[in-house]
Amino acid sequence: MELELDRAAAVPAEEETALLTGSGDPAELLPAPAAPVRTTRRLGRWLFGALAALVVVALGFDTADLLNRAFATSVALGVLVALLAATAGIAAVAMLVNELLSLRRLRRIEELRAEAGRLEVEAPGGRADRFAGSLVALYADRRELAPALARVRDHVTDAHDEHEVVRLLDREVLAPLDRAAYQRVLLASRDTAVATALSPAALLDFAVVLWRNLKLVREIASLYGARPGYVGSLRLLRRMLANIAVAGVTESAHHVAVEALGGSLAAAISTRMGQGVINGLLTARVGLTAMHLCRPIAFGTDNRPSLNRIRKELLSVPKQVL
Amino acid sequence: MRIPDLNSLYDAGSRLLLESTVRVGVTGLRRAGKTVFVTALVDNLLKAGRLPFLDVMSSGRFQAARLRPQPDPDVPRFDFEGHLAVLTGPDPHWPEPTRGIGQMRVSLRYRPDSALKRAVQPVATLNLDLVDYPGEWLLDLPLLRQSFAEWSALTLELAARPPRDELSASWRGWLATIDPMASAEEETARRGAALYTDYLHACRRADTLLSLIQPGRFVEPGDMKDAPLLTFCPLPPPQFAGSRGRGSLWALMEERYEAYKTNVVRRFFSEHFAKLDRQIVLIDVLGALNAGPAGMADMKRALELSLEPFRHGSSGWLDWLLGTKIDRVLFAATKADHIAAHQHAQLRALLDRLVGDARNAIRFEGAQVETMAIAALKCTDSVVTEHEGRQLRCVRGVPVGRDRPTVLFPGEIPEDAEAFPPGRDRPYNFLAFRPPDDLGRDPRGLPHIRVDQALQFLLGDYLL
Repeated sequence: MELELDRAAAVPAEEETALLTGSGDPAELLPAPAAPVRTTRRLGRWLFGALAALVVVALGFDTADLLNRAFATSVALGVLVALLAATAGIAAVAMLVNELLSLRRLRRIEELRAEAGRLEVEAPGGRADRFAGSLVALYADRRELAPALARVRDHVTDAHDEHEVVRLLDREVLAPLDRAAYQRVLLASRDTAVATALSPAALLDFAVVLWRNLKLVREIASLYGARPGYVGSLRLLRRMLANIAVAGVTESAHHVAVEALGGSLAAAISTRMGQGVINGLLTARVGLTAMHLCRPIAFGTDNRPSLNRIRKELLSVPKQVL
Repeated sequence: MRIPDLNSLYDAGSRLLLESTVRVGVTGLRRAGKTVFVTALVDNLLKAGRLPFLDVMSSGRFQAARLRPQPDPDVPRFDFEGHLAVLTGPDPHWPEPTRGIGQMRVSLRYRPDSALKRAVQPVATLNLDLVDYPGEWLLDLPLLRQSFAEWSALTLELAARPPRDELSASWRGWLATIDPMASAEEETARRGAALYTDYLHACRRADTLLSLIQPGRFVEPGDMKDAPLLTFCPLPPPQFAGSRGRGSLWALMEERYEAYKTNVVRRFFSEHFAKLDRQIVLIDVLGALNAGPAGMADMKRALELSLEPFRHGSSGWLDWLLGTKIDRVLFAATKADHIAAHQHAQLRALLDRLVGDARNAIRFEGAQVETMAIAALKCTDSVVTEHEGRQLRCVRGVPVGRDRPTVLFPGEIPEDAEAFPPGRDRPYNFLAFRPPDDLGRDPRGLPHIRVDQALQFLLGDYLL
């Protein structure tokens, strides 16, 4: 059946404008930040809250212990330490609030991820251009991604179906972001490892680990251009608190560990290094969870990031520090 | 091999030891698109601009590809430049049907992925050998397993059924007049062969697509035109078993049949198909749909028969002793650009049903099988247009025989199992399109649909 030539609008034109301008109705897939949905996992939240309180209490005891020792030495030293602890506490809270606020400014991409998942699995139905448009809108102002977006625009034809468009976007646009994010995770875990190995007090450990974790999550989120959703943030927070708890506990138990290993200098150094490696690994896990949560298209089996390289890097940290 | 100095010794040694070769068999019945596929594949590899789904290219490890002298110098070279000129020249049209064998080799240079391989060889080379041949010759291969009596019986049974019965009327009429037990006369044999050849030509020209045309050399002799080897035809079995004696017509025909198998078919198979590593089977599903249920059944039978002689299986370390096996087979429905893009999934589902039995047989042997809807040369664009208030997805291209682009609604392939609803004899009419003008201007390579994914499946694990 033959039809008129001039009344035909090319299907690729829709997709191409979507890819060029990031249009294609992104409003449906990229909502403005809205109030989080209350989940009803009360038992989990109880456990969560209780553990958090316990950590704070342990920390408080340790700080109290430190203050006692300082006051026992001299009043001036005691006042100084008290002032420092207060300043550290206030600064930590302030930084926390800062990071959270800047996270809020990024967009929530849960709809986008769900759409990507649906496109991978379901039969094609012409929705790839909307998804592509939303993804381009997300990265429209990033100059370093412009050549990758241009390459995708070049290669996508009207004959590619949804799975193929999603795979192409995954491979061309998100792969460099993955590499940069992994690099950040590596750096953050190395910093944490070194810092917790060298720090003398539990409070300092606590502050450093919390701050570095938050910074890492913020960096990864701004790299991918999106922040994790409410449920995802909860998961992330749980991991971070586990990290902090372990940092505090290992620091407090440092003396005990050294005694148990014989009390020599080698024992002291090795416990410190072990502490550093553990905390570095936990930070790396936080980072990888953040990568999973902030990525617009979920990881496939072949490009999933692994801890292997980070583990190798961390095990060579003692060499570098010494 | 003269080795004048150390440099050429090093070159020869490295070529022998460090370059790997993969032979990809491009199989397909006639007019499935083998020649255009090989041309488009080689052009895209040489220009390397349009293969995003080929991993070695998207990860940036690919360096370049070049045409190299082919491995068998006594086989004619595939006329790649000629076919490319025909497709991209001022009057683009499809190449003429292939009349003989053509071979070519493309060398791909790339950087290996694993650090270990990179330590041994910073740049690896893969030689890709391709062979093109007339599709009619493919159907000679099943003859290797059939004796003359079996083949005669099968052919006569097929010729007696519609739609071949009227085409073979004159030949079968002549068969009724002769006696296979009579003493052999050269004139009788020649007359029989001539009538049978006419019948085969008529099958080839028929409206309904008749794929099972054996022996292939009768309709496409290549360089064997008028050879005495081609002077035989199927005979009805003689009444008495003892009468297949010497000197009878039957014995003469049988002797010629066996000679054909030995000298022509077995040689063709062992030279070009016995050493394949990977195979792509090109199937013109849209042509089969056009031909109706009879044509589709005929093509299905022809496909299954032609795939039997190939040795499929997983390759192992005993290959050097027992011979290589084909460990990956790709069934590709060609000319996917003749339908709208959203129909590709249905085309693939139809292909799955068409090759289902063959696929199971090959998987049973241990090879990996995949199906895809591809187009070696993308001649159309998908467009959306409005017609009588409905939104229709159509294709826009230049149909064969015209010179201006037109928008056509090609028809829809149904989603369910009934490809041919009862009641209408030939419900589909997919038109053929010719290549668009100015294909040669684009430096990135000929446009295609999913040829890169086909390459990734066929060569992906060699290019690591």
